[in-house]
Amino acid sequence: MMAETLTYESAYAELAAIAKEIESETVSVDVLAQKVKRASELITFCQTKLRSTESEVNKIIAQMEKQS
Amino acid sequence: MQDLQPIRLSQLTAAIDKALADAFRKTSVWVIADVTNHTFRPEKNYHNFDLVEKDPHSNAIIARVQSKAWGAGSTSIAHFQQTTGQRFSNNISVLVNVSVTYHPVFGLQLNLNNIDINFTLGALEQERLATLARLVDENPGFIRKEGDVFITKNKELPLNRVIQDIAVISSRTSAGWQDFKHTLENNSFGFVFRVDDYFTIVQGENNAQQFLSKLIEVFTSGKSYDAVVIIRGGGAQTDFLIFDNYLIGKAVAKFPIPVITGIGHQKNETIADLMAHTQTKTPTKAAEFIIHHNRVYEEAIRQFQKTIVIRAQQRFSAGFQALALLQHSTVHQSKEILFERNREILAIASAMVTKPKMIVYNRLNDMQQLALNLHTFGPLYLRNRRGELEHFISVYKILSPENTLRRGFAIIKSNGRITSDPAALAVGQEVRIILSDKEMGATITSKNDYDGRDFNI
Repeated sequence: MMAETLTYESAYAELAAIAKEIESETVSVDVLAQKVKRASELITFCQTKLRSTESEVNKIIAQMEKQS
Repeated sequence: MQDLQPIRLSQLTAAIDKALADAFRKTSVWVIADVTNHTFRPEKNYHNFDLVEKDPHSNAIIARVQSKAWGAGSTSIAHFQQTTGQRFSNNISVLVNVSVTYHPVFGLQLNLNNIDINFTLGALEQERLATLARLVDENPGFIRKEGDVFITKNKELPLNRVIQDIAVISSRTSAGWQDFKHTLENNSFGFVFRVDDYFTIVQGENNAQQFLSKLIEVFTSGKSYDAVVIIRGGGAQTDFLIFDNYLIGKAVAKFPIPVITGIGHQKNETIADLMAHTQTKTPTKAAEFIIHHNRVYEEAIRQFQKTIVIRAQQRFSAGFQALALLQHSTVHQSKEILFERNREILAIASAMVTKPKMIVYNRLNDMQQLALNLHTFGPLYLRNRRGELEHFISVYKILSPENTLRRGFAIIKSNGRITSDPAALAVGQEVRIILSDKEMGATITSKNDYDGRDFNI
């Protein structure tokens, strides 16, 4: 699975690189399946991260508006 | 003398009376003298006193006459007291108009007709000025004069910001003391004062020592008073000379606690006024001065308070505004960022869904194309190669020596070798000619340039 140290930014950078390779069709077929698998993992990671961040932010904002 | 008949005493007094009457009866004189043994009987409005002259050096009495004042004389004395503030009393120097009277029982007497006010005023003023000059001369350490102003140590003391602990030197029965206390206690600002009373007699120069001891009592009390207030006021305009006393003036000038005077003197300032830290005209004004002084401090504090509140509110509102702005932009911006990131991920995810399939499909397509090509172009290729080969064979056949010879061309050999160079052949040389399927021997008989057009096809 994901390394513990994976951040959104590094995950996204890796994902963007894979996407670019695939978009421009410069990817080797030998590693295509592997790359797509990795991309899928990265997408899941990024979405999970985004969702948790969003819910946290919403919670904080709600609290902030309750206080003011 | 002995042959003279003795006479009765009354005859003598009558003779004296006559002689004095001849000399003085119709006239009055102005004399300068000091007053002693003074008594006053108010019910009869009658003054009894002695007029004396003292030796200026020894102070010994060198002349004395019993005197009285009543009627018009008494009225002029009342006027004198009213105007000068100086009581007609012992030890004052006066210029008086007197007439000489003689009574057989009471003897020689002076009858006071009038008293000169200006003489006494001038004398008092001179005395006052002399006292002031002496104060400056003898106390350079704490009294000096700058222009018309006396600068004393007491005057240079800083007043505490708030005057609250006060020592009052006053007469116990003084209306001025009551005015002072009343004004102080009923101030409209709710100021609280701690007042200690030091009662003494504040009139008559003779009581200066007692007054002075009260001042010393204030000093030795060990209490840290903010001010000493000297009160004298109200009532009749009588004797303020105590406040022109040298010792009191000196003590006030030197006193280590600021002295505020409220001496109800309607005329000149007293010496005590001039030496004190602050002088006011009446006891009430002294109290008002203290209240005002404290009021100024309170106002300053209020102003500080107001400023602090306003500034704090300004800071708060600016802070709240900035925070609200930041909060708004934070909320907005963080949502924006999340939305944007989500969009990016979704775009990539959707590309990831379609693109790899497309890549694989494209590669497959390429393969199929390649297979198809192989299938289609394999046989065609062989055919072409064969065509090319056949073409080369036919060219070769056309160009073969047999065919060339058959078309009428001959080969010339010299020294066993085929030659195509005429320069290598000379006349008389043996050559061999090959024509069709026969070889023939020949000798060259001639050699000329040839310009025929036989080969021009």
